[in-house]
Amino acid sequence: MNSEKSTAQTKTVIAGIQGGKFLSFFLQDEEYGIEILKVQEIIGLMPITRIPRTPDYVRGVINLRGKIIAVTDLRKKFGMEDIEQTSETCIIVVQTNKMEIGVMVDKVSEVLDISGSEIENTPAFGASVPTEFLLGIGNTEGGVRLLLNIEKILSAQELVELCSENLELTA
Amino acid sequence: MSKVEQQTISSLKQIRIDLDLLQPDDPQTLIQIGAGLECIAVNLPEEYFSASELLGHCLETLQAMFHGKASDFPQTIRLIAVALLAVEQSVVSTPNPITEAIIKQAKELLQNGITGEEIENIAQTDESFDNLKDAVSDLSTLDAVANWLIQIEPEDKEDVIRLCDALKKLSSQTKESSVKKLLTKAARETDKIVKGKAGDVQETLTLIGDLIGQASPSDTIEEFAGQTTTPVEKSNVTQISQVKTPQKEPVQAEESVADIESYQTEYAADILTEDADISLLMEFVTESHENIEAAESAFLLLENEPDNLENINTVFRAFHTVKGSSAFLGLKRLTELAHHAESLLSRIRDGEIRCMGGYANLALRAIDMLKEMFVSLQDALEGGVMVLPQAYGELLHILTNPEAAGISEKADTSPQPSEVIKTSESFDNLSEEDLDSIKIGDILVEMDSITPEDIEEALLIQKRLRTGTKQQQPHTESSVRVRTDRLDRLINMVGELVVAQSMLAQDETLSQSIHFEIARKVAHAGKIVRDLQDLSMAMRMIPLKNTFSKMARVVRDVAQKCGKVVEFVNDGEDTEIDRNMVDLIADPLVHMVRNAVDHGIESPDERERSGKTRSGKVRLSAYHSGGNVVVELADDGNGLDAEKILQKALEKGLIESDKGLTDHQIFNLIFAPGMSTNDTVTDVSGRGVGMDVVRRNIESMHGRIEISSEKGKGSLFTIRLPLTLAITDGMLVRVGTERYIVPTVHIYLSFRPSSDAITTVAGRGEMVQLRGELMPIVRLHSLFDIKGSVENPTEGSLVIVADDKRRCALLVDELLGQHQVVAKALGTGIGKVPGVAGGAILGDGCVGLILDTAELVALARQTTNQFYRKGNSLKKVA
Repeated sequence: MNSEKSTAQTKTVIAGIQGGKFLSFFLQDEEYGIEILKVQEIIGLMPITRIPRTPDYVRGVINLRGKIIAVTDLRKKFGMEDIEQTSETCIIVVQTNKMEIGVMVDKVSEVLDISGSEIENTPAFGASVPTEFLLGIGNTEGGVRLLLNIEKILSAQELVELCSENLELTA
Repeated sequence: MSKVEQQTISSLKQIRIDLDLLQPDDPQTLIQIGAGLECIAVNLPEEYFSASELLGHCLETLQAMFHGKASDFPQTIRLIAVALLAVEQSVVSTPNPITEAIIKQAKELLQNGITGEEIENIAQTDESFDNLKDAVSDLSTLDAVANWLIQIEPEDKEDVIRLCDALKKLSSQTKESSVKKLLTKAARETDKIVKGKAGDVQETLTLIGDLIGQASPSDTIEEFAGQTTTPVEKSNVTQISQVKTPQKEPVQAEESVADIESYQTEYAADILTEDADISLLMEFVTESHENIEAAESAFLLLENEPDNLENINTVFRAFHTVKGSSAFLGLKRLTELAHHAESLLSRIRDGEIRCMGGYANLALRAIDMLKEMFVSLQDALEGGVMVLPQAYGELLHILTNPEAAGISEKADTSPQPSEVIKTSESFDNLSEEDLDSIKIGDILVEMDSITPEDIEEALLIQKRLRTGTKQQQPHTESSVRVRTDRLDRLINMVGELVVAQSMLAQDETLSQSIHFEIARKVAHAGKIVRDLQDLSMAMRMIPLKNTFSKMARVVRDVAQKCGKVVEFVNDGEDTEIDRNMVDLIADPLVHMVRNAVDHGIESPDERERSGKTRSGKVRLSAYHSGGNVVVELADDGNGLDAEKILQKALEKGLIESDKGLTDHQIFNLIFAPGMSTNDTVTDVSGRGVGMDVVRRNIESMHGRIEISSEKGKGSLFTIRLPLTLAITDGMLVRVGTERYIVPTVHIYLSFRPSSDAITTVAGRGEMVQLRGELMPIVRLHSLFDIKGSVENPTEGSLVIVADDKRRCALLVDELLGQHQVVAKALGTGIGKVPGVAGGAILGDGCVGLILDTAELVALARQTTNQFYRKGNSLKKVA
């Protein structure tokens, strides 16, 4: 029952991303993509207020024109090394139906049209590489881009869970 | 009874009515009924298994009818009706052997019914119906007897004998002589029927019905008499629906089950159809609510000047709008009520009756009922169940014919001129100074030259003339309804604009004198931005007017209930306050106003004895003062009785002794839970829950309440509230490079300790001593893992905060000053962060976190629990 449900979900997700526009960005040397419809805006780096007692990939909160939104560092989230922030470092503000959240990336590249036929299912890398965050792999002439399931990555539930774990540890 | 069951019953009744009206050639209605039954069967809780099974059989029968298989249409319908009644009975009284038996019987009937043994079934139906009657009627109460009366068939001697016995028994049990007389007479009449002496059996039955009606405490019983005259030959099905109606009317409290459903046989609640336009309905609810509120305040004015046409038109229009829109939306019950209320009002408008006494009360009841129905409609829209208010049927009944229900211009409780006259019985024995206080009208009445009514009229004319010059048409402002979240966003954006503008204005390039032109333009933009900010802040504010007019109603109602004469004055109803607070302040005010009228103001006689005017005065006023909104409630009643409060407080163990308490402290005791100085508990007040809720509500708005009172002269309650809830007063503190906001209300004091004030416990837990009190030091930097901050308490500052148990000292680097900030939620997707209450945009555009001190203290206790225990034991030793 459960597995049936999850396969059904993946199918719909893949069907949903066919032939869409993606915003591509860089983390380290890898190029990633997010569905453009989920991107609200891209802003330059601004002072981030750290929030105590949260997981390290939660960079803190920023003031987005009067609204306070949280910022997640994708590098940290993916277990990459910290690097110095450059003028190209920016925050992609992602809006899904559930939340509005900032994602910090090394640099934003371009908006791409990737057709359904160019999207391949995520290959299994084995247990060491978590693939549940990927929608698929966009294999275009310009190169290979990992298409992220950004909602899953930013799922509020996970943040809260991690927060409480963190709390328990300290407690 | 749970909601499901209530709903089941009302839908069952609706279906029975539909069934009654069902024509053989109407498949549409048939399908509807089927759908309704299915719905009930699905929703029925598990314990009613047999009932839902029976419903299933009913459905089958209906299907058969739909396909034209039922041979005898009316008979089949009758069978289904009996089955439904059985289901209803079993739902009313939770499943028991009797209901099970009834259901079983009904089931058999149904199954046989389709096979076509009609003739036999009729007999059986009657029998089962008799059984039902037996099951429901226990002839030990008057109501039951009344029920029985309308069920019996005069030809059936046994029934009549039973009635006779019951009446005799009742009359012997009754203590009240008048009731006893009536019952004995009824028993005699019944006896006549039994012995065949009665001339016209029907007429005698009607007479008996009348007698029982008079003996019964409820005037609604009158209806029974009417129903007794309905031809008994009528089919059983119609009788079934009648049986239920009267059974539910009695006022007897013990028959709560029946009471809840009062009148609902006739008036089933509207059911929202699935395709109902929710947003349209929502709009209708809010709009109508406003209409009704306006109607209510206009109505209260109207009561003072019954001939003011403008007011009556306002009320009329409100009802008319409600009627029109609800009819459009298919809400039959609302339409019905609004329609009848409208006809009452139109009579007032046309001068046929005057808006006084009973009529006024009736109209206000209609207004209340509408309000209640809107609330239930809103519930339904939010996924709840739409329930018709209990008294709906009764009210509608009165509205259709107010005079029959004993409503007149004379009020039952409001004082009439005749009362005034009674108090000054003889004018002959009056001294000269007394003569000044006597009204000419009273003398005239005494001399029989005019009637009290004339005086009243004359006084009204006088009043009108007096106020006439001042009276202006209230200036109606047009307005646009805006969603609150949009408004909040606009206010946020404007706040941002202010910050952005000030950043621009302070830019270095502008401060150099070479860019004079651009500096001028920036300054100009700055002015506009400031205006915009003022405007946006004003948008949140709404006048207290509505709240105040609500209080006028409370005063009126409570005064009537307590038999007091109270004049209500309000001042400054145009004072504006944050719209979120308007709702929050209404509840405490209602409590306080009620208290003022019920406890504060004395009864007219008592007032006269203590040399006051007969009518008491309650004054509600609001004004701005020192950045606060002040709401004052004053009454010229008896004032608070300090001794009584002390005595009660001692009784309840709230204080240990009455020594050394100032008046102020004593008065504050009334805010303690469970405190009430009234000896008797009334339905208005006296349970002692009021004032502590009042204080809690006011404190939740960051407000304060003060009392001053003088015995015999009255009391004054002063509520001070901040202008808006949106702004938090906070102290900005720095820890390392981070800045945090500590709400000022939570800070007791802050200081920099000297090194000898600090004690270390077991080398780890730190305590600081301040005026003899030892407090643990909570290092914010270690709690929040901040690097590069002051580590030595003597170099930083200690901020004393507390959770509800104990105080502790928060170590911060320095205090940056007091700021007013707009508290905002941290972004979505971050969850609840322990120790942080929210965020706020600081003057430089950065986000500052607002600390939750209570949580911080708890957090610190969690992390360093061990030290705390030691700290505690140390404190005890110290």
